[in-house]
Amino acid sequence: MIEVRDLTKSYDDFKALKGISFTVQRGEIVGFLGPNGAGKTTTMKILTSYMPQSSGTVTVDGHDINDAPLKVRELIGYLPEANPLYTDMLVYDYLRHVATVRGVPKDKLKERIKAACEMCGILPRVGQRIGTLSKGFKQRVGLAAALIHDPDILILDEPTSGLDPNQIVEIRNLIKRLGENRTIILSTHNLPEVMATCNRMLIVHNGQLVADGTAAELEKRESASQRLRVLLRGVDPEAARAALAAVAGVETAHVRPSAEPDAVRLEVIAREDADVRAAVYRLVVDRGWELLGLEREVLDLEGLFRKLTREM
Amino acid sequence: MRNVGALARREMGFYFNSPVAYITITLFLVVCGVYLFSMDDIHTGRSFFEDNEASLRKLFDVIPVIFILIIPAITMRLLAEEKRSGTIELLFTMPVTDTHIAVGKFLGGLAFLAITLLATLPLPIIVGGLGNLDVGALVGGYLGLLLLGSAYLAIGLMASSWTDNQIVAYLLAALICAFFYAVSGMVSVVWAGAKDALAALSFEGHFANITRGVIDTRDVLFYLTFVVVALVITVQSLQARNWK
Repeated sequence: MIEVRDLTKSYDDFKALKGISFTVQRGEIVGFLGPNGAGKTTTMKILTSYMPQSSGTVTVDGHDINDAPLKVRELIGYLPEANPLYTDMLVYDYLRHVATVRGVPKDKLKERIKAACEMCGILPRVGQRIGTLSKGFKQRVGLAAALIHDPDILILDEPTSGLDPNQIVEIRNLIKRLGENRTIILSTHNLPEVMATCNRMLIVHNGQLVADGTAAELEKRESASQRLRVLLRGVDPEAARAALAAVAGVETAHVRPSAEPDAVRLEVIAREDADVRAAVYRLVVDRGWELLGLEREVLDLEGLFRKLTREM
Repeated sequence: MRNVGALARREMGFYFNSPVAYITITLFLVVCGVYLFSMDDIHTGRSFFEDNEASLRKLFDVIPVIFILIIPAITMRLLAEEKRSGTIELLFTMPVTDTHIAVGKFLGGLAFLAITLLATLPLPIIVGGLGNLDVGALVGGYLGLLLLGSAYLAIGLMASSWTDNQIVAYLLAALICAFFYAVSGMVSVVWAGAKDALAALSFEGHFANITRGVIDTRDVLFYLTFVVVALVITVQSLQARNWK
């Protein structure tokens, strides 16, 4: 559906993209992940033909973005990072405007506006001026405008940034629903976001693609170690740490701040091949400690993300 | 064409959903009415009633100058505001060309200008009731205003495409319009030999021909050329984002 080959982009002396290649299949929900300034927005602005690349090629459904920009724009619905909207317009008028400019036939206008509003949950607000809406509703209006022409592809740049936790969950659910019959690329610097919505992730850093795959694939590739969280009560933190670090298979152990005042939280890093949970349990029983929690972190993507995107 | 119409309608909607349109039109009508009936003619020094002539010539003399102040206020936001607020990104990622955008915005401004001119129709009706109005000169005057206004609008749109600051867009547009309005008079003071050549470039000269009721294709083409050139420059300026 989308094919990106050796994409580069330079702003004056700054190289924002240093040769990125990837392919997105029809129906995939791809998370574009990276720290701020990694090149996510630049890539999206090129994909939507807002600005041209310095070199490399992009084809969308077989159309080159430079040769057939209008065709590509028809296929794509785009929600830019800052979610710019005509705040002086009513929601309905705005959606009608976008639909007309996008060439939705006149007899389909009402139907499409209603469908987009229902999907985004803004039907009760269609008569309201956009400028008076809350940030979460504005975001939904932006999304509704992006899918008003029922595009095959949705490109969403930081769709949940600046929203409160409830709104974030709502937008994520909406994206998942939209992804049932569309191709979606969304960018974020927030890892849980990708885990919650995407079936594949692309990690960019300093203008380069540093990882590409499903969460499980990336985890497998990087999990040379595993992490255990241990919660104990009535122990001396330093003594517990030293004892845990001495367990066979454990590489290091750290004391972490605990939410409960009399509990001690420890993080244990163990080699991947060693399941040290039983050994830890026996140690706790032998010493007569109170064990409040023992949990193995299966997916250590946060560590992977930090490792891949550390400043070089 | 439908998307160009939608872009133009959006601009019209902005003017009439905000106080902009009503303030502009009211201001324009008040200035025109006061000047026509209560002030002395800048050429003859006599008032409308002393002149004893049912003519709007006096009005057609002054509207081009009023336009220099009012039309840039209509056009200043057209592109500058889209750039400042970031909505230009939506515009550039919709399936429309830069030419569609420039023409749509221009037509939105033109429709507003036409409505403003329609609102002045009570003036010729009043004057016509006072005596015999020269209908040819009247039609020519309105056509001339529409053509002159189109050239100003295109210049204003062009200025608006150069900046994301509406004030800068306003001042640039007013400056350029004033220059082309008065170019022959200004420059010929210091360089008499250039008067004829510059008169050919001056908005005022071509406008004076049309308001006499003489509609010459050369005068019409002059304004249309201005519109096309300014729109072409606007499109170039929009495409400047592709230069890197």
